[in-house]
Amino acid sequence: MEKIRIAKVVLPIVLLGILLVYPLVETSQYYQHIMVMTLMAAVMASSWNIIGGYAGYTSLGHAAFFGLGGYLVAWTHNEYGWHPFVSTWFLALVVAGVALAVGWIALRTQGSAFVVVTIAVIFIFRLLALNLSAITNGAQGLTQPRPGWGGVQWSPELMKVPFHYIMLLLLCLTIYSSWRIRQSKFGMGLIAIREDEGKAEAVGIDTMLYKVLAFGISAYFIGVAGGIYSYFFTYIDPGFVFDIFVSVTMVLIAILGGRGTLWGPVLGAFIMQPLANWVVSEFGGTQIHLTVFGGILLFVMLFMPQGILPALNEFLMRWNSKTRSASAN
Amino acid sequence: MTIPSFHLFIQTLILGVLVGGVYALMSSGLTLIFGVMRVINVAHGAILILGAFITYVLFQNFQIDPIVSIVITMPLLFGVGWLIQRYILSRIESPEQTSVLVTFALALIMEGILGAIFHTTIRSVKPDYATDAIILASYRFPVTRLMGFASALIVILCLNLILYYTNIGRAIRATMQDPRAAQLVGINVSKISAFAFALGVSTAAAGGSLLSMIYSFNPSSQTDWIAKTLSIIVLGGMGSLPGALVAALILGVMEQLTAIMITLYWSPIVFYFFLFITLIIRPQGLMGEIIREKG
Repeated sequence: MEKIRIAKVVLPIVLLGILLVYPLVETSQYYQHIMVMTLMAAVMASSWNIIGGYAGYTSLGHAAFFGLGGYLVAWTHNEYGWHPFVSTWFLALVVAGVALAVGWIALRTQGSAFVVVTIAVIFIFRLLALNLSAITNGAQGLTQPRPGWGGVQWSPELMKVPFHYIMLLLLCLTIYSSWRIRQSKFGMGLIAIREDEGKAEAVGIDTMLYKVLAFGISAYFIGVAGGIYSYFFTYIDPGFVFDIFVSVTMVLIAILGGRGTLWGPVLGAFIMQPLANWVVSEFGGTQIHLTVFGGILLFVMLFMPQGILPALNEFLMRWNSKTRSASAN
Repeated sequence: MTIPSFHLFIQTLILGVLVGGVYALMSSGLTLIFGVMRVINVAHGAILILGAFITYVLFQNFQIDPIVSIVITMPLLFGVGWLIQRYILSRIESPEQTSVLVTFALALIMEGILGAIFHTTIRSVKPDYATDAIILASYRFPVTRLMGFASALIVILCLNLILYYTNIGRAIRATMQDPRAAQLVGINVSKISAFAFALGVSTAAAGGSLLSMIYSFNPSSQTDWIAKTLSIIVLGGMGSLPGALVAALILGVMEQLTAIMITLYWSPIVFYFFLFITLIIRPQGLMGEIIREKG
């Protein structure tokens, strides 16, 4: 047991150390790019986990908040010259505000109906992005100038490095918030809601408030990630961000690693994102990559719906009690 | 916003009802599947598009009329549906939670395969009568929509005959009301589920055949159809067949009205607007029961 506890402190520090030096050691643009996308996937899955994992509400609508963050950043950058690395943190507050309003309606429903509503949220945002062309430029999407700071463009070889560090910072903040929430009375309340909402309400938890807050918080980090993403690609269009596929990817990552655990979504991202990149580079020429992704999703849902971390935890517990009883004999 | 003339208003109502009939067929299978199994079949849109592509191939290669091809697509996809339920859906434990992701995976698999075969080109099936219309008392009735509406009615009628006048239909309705009690009186619920799912999928196949001549489509248009059909069954009350029919007609008419009064581009918003209003005012939908349990 002692060993597991030490590992829980040491492993994150080692991981952070590796991620801090990664872009200095790995100079290949391709692998740097994959790492930025992996960090982003970890942010999104960890953030989704706050409502989807802790509170147990499977939202498939979070792609809407990703896209909204991206559009707000792209628009304010082009219109007012706000630098995305600064503005995204504030604009994501707007995203969280929108999410509170959406959550206030959507969270009146449960189970299947909730999933349906959140799917509809994506379509509403897509429709808005397509039709409010004065701001969003319709189906063409928004382009931003090439990344830089203070009028100086970053050189192409070093282009990915700033994005690596800002995404890493965002990931640290997301995990820290997720950890603090889990330790708090608020987090306990969310887990109580997941286990039995009726009883949670009976013991005096304001379930509606808790759920709506969790929904808003989980949209915040995804909104920030969306802002950074739109600057990273310097391009955003409705079809690509307002897509159930984006939502399902974060849900799949969280479930693969271990839904409701702190580190599960991070683990899931480090498995799934490189795999997804490989699939697209291997089959991207045809639509078959969708089939491969669908196959992975189907496999995870049918054969490991528990996720990796909970299964590992169970294995360690059993192994631990076995060695203990062996030493007692 | 433009206020239409009386003539245009009636004409729009006619078109709305005709398209609503097809929507009714498309969503009846979805609500049936939910009612029996508590599964939200997100692959419903992909099955519609699959049906449309099969119809397209039959028309291009063998000049088979889209309406006639219903006779082929329905039994074919009935079999596919049976296999999906038997070997995939029956394995999942809590359908309310996971069925959406599992069926979404199936939708992606189908979209990928269709995309690899047919690419992203937008297609439609154009029989000789595609542009014909019957004029009745100065109102236009486009032939494809009229035939689509009539075929949808026939399929829905058959579905109702099966549900209300056969033993297997009685067993399906019993399972919809209470699966455990149905099991207790000797109904093989897993067999009934497989049959109901296959039946639901085959109505989507028929819907797909009709879709192919009324709308243009490509593999990725499946997501638009998920959104539309899901909104219809939420408005009607999830699991309620009559509810889905009424909701489909309402939304068909409202969509057409929005298209002429505001613009065509905004007309899909009608579906989401009604979806949200339903959930705020009457979460159980027009004719459904309140869904309170959480899977």
